Amino acid sequence: MNRRILLIVALALPILVLGVDAFMHHLQRANGEAVTLPIEGFDPRDLLSGHYLQYRVDYGVENGCDGYIGAASVCLRPTRGIYPRGDLPADCGLFIQGHCDDHGIFLADIERFYIPEEYAQSLEDKVRDHQGELALSVDRQGNAAIRDLLIDGKPWKEVAQTSH
Amino acid sequence: MSTIAKLNNWLQAGLITPAQHAAILNFEAHRPQSVNWWLYSLMILGVTIIGLGIISLIAANWADIPDSVKLGIDFSLLTALAVAIYWQYPNRRHGAWFETLLTGFMLLCLASIGLIAQIYHIGGQWYYALLFWAGITALLSLYARSLFARFLWVTLFLHGLAWSVAALPDNSFRWEETPSILLLTPLLTALLHYLATHVKPLHGYASSLFFWFQLSAIVALAFADITRSSGEMNDYRAIWYLPAYLTAAILAVGILLSKHYRLLNRLLLLAALTLLLLYYHPDLLFTGAQRYALFGFTPHADVSFWQADDIRAPILTLLILFLYAVHAGNSGHQRTFSLITFLIGLRFVVLYFQAMGGLAATGVGLIISGALIIAMAWLWYKGRDRFRQWARGLQA
Repeated sequence: MNRRILLIVALALPILVLGVDAFMHHLQRANGEAVTLPIEGFDPRDLLSGHYLQYRVDYGVENGCDGYIGAASVCLRPTRGIYPRGDLPADCGLFIQGHCDDHGIFLADIERFYIPEEYAQSLEDKVRDHQGELALSVDRQGNAAIRDLLIDGKPWKEVAQTSH
Repeated sequence: MSTIAKLNNWLQAGLITPAQHAAILNFEAHRPQSVNWWLYSLMILGVTIIGLGIISLIAANWADIPDSVKLGIDFSLLTALAVAIYWQYPNRRHGAWFETLLTGFMLLCLASIGLIAQIYHIGGQWYYALLFWAGITALLSLYARSLFARFLWVTLFLHGLAWSVAALPDNSFRWEETPSILLLTPLLTALLHYLATHVKPLHGYASSLFFWFQLSAIVALAFADITRSSGEMNDYRAIWYLPAYLTAAILAVGILLSKHYRLLNRLLLLAALTLLLLYYHPDLLFTGAQRYALFGFTPHADVSFWQADDIRAPILTLLILFLYAVHAGNSGHQRTFSLITFLIGLRFVVLYFQAMGGLAATGVGLIISGALIIAMAWLWYKGRDRFRQWARGLQA
């Protein structure tokens, strides 16, 4: 292939891939079913790390992963529970895919929320006080995307601006 | 000494004729001048600072800027840079702009991944992001002509690949598994270097990969030496090394099939590889017991000489270095040979302090230690050439 044409391909490829990536994330956030789950800080030292909040999502499952490590899904409807990938009950109508780590925690890559540094401390305090919730969008394949961080049921921006 | 000064010397010494002298000067005067490295560095620095400024502006105000505007600015910049790179393509051999814009574009791609992750709150690992970046810019990096742009791409790609592969067994990486990364990186880099030297379009990456191979191999060896000498690593799990073992197996096949190496070099490399794998294996060669004090660890003088980890570790280090030095000397790699023989000498000095560390606490001991270091340096300087001649002679 002509090197000039190949250069056009080489330049267009990253732009296209990044564009598709952003568009897919946008679609996932806009089209899934809305779910709200409470969050809590799991370690006071690591709750705020840089410009993002780190937290643990409370799926309402008492025993967590129950010793299982590996790919898993958490069923949210009709009954809540964490199951190894493939063992999900047939009647499960809404679930999130993720994995159980070696501490018995279910993780779905939604445990990070980027925030501006100026609001970091006040939001961190509120999350630690169990006032935080995560507004999610979950599609039929079990992919979860973050829509917003809620403090006492309100979007974080609204709360941050009133407290400043 | 400049080229002109050298030419004048050669002319005065009668090595070249006045006609040749004039012809060379004429050839050099009409040859397209390569871009000064400092000009190129300054331009890269400028582009990087502009990029950082844009990122800082977005980072400082990102909550107030709508997502669509942030993404719009980002993709407009990417497109403008892409057009500028294409526009500069005919001048790629005569100026620094093509390389500067290319590097800027690749860095902006990385920043774009960060921006998308920030907007959509994606919580993936940094090494997956680097691997993704390397994947989408791989084709473009083939157009880079300067060492800097290639080195940048190779460096970020290697970090993304090594950490991602190390995380493969259970899809996560924990800090206590660091030894697996240290063993995997030189093996993976050696494998990629092998590929780069055998596949023509990848030749441009070979020098960067060789640099990272040497650096990561020295770090891997130093880490194993220090931790093994202090009786550690016995409680590590062999499963952590699974990616490294698989990589080593492929590398061994590559060495065996390589037409670039003679039989002796193949055997030397395979022996060094086997010893490195044994060095990292939790309990095949090491017992967890020490004989001498090192870096403040408590010694166990009752351990027999050959069972002590701090005896076996330096022997293994020196053996691996010796095998590789013979390979380098035999293959004519002068700089590598000098570096490895220097490391052998350095390890002997450290070995002396391990065994006779108490002496360094007294005045006489310090004098003896200083004299020993000078003697080692002199021996290394004098013996290096003989060793190189011997290694070269092995090929006959």
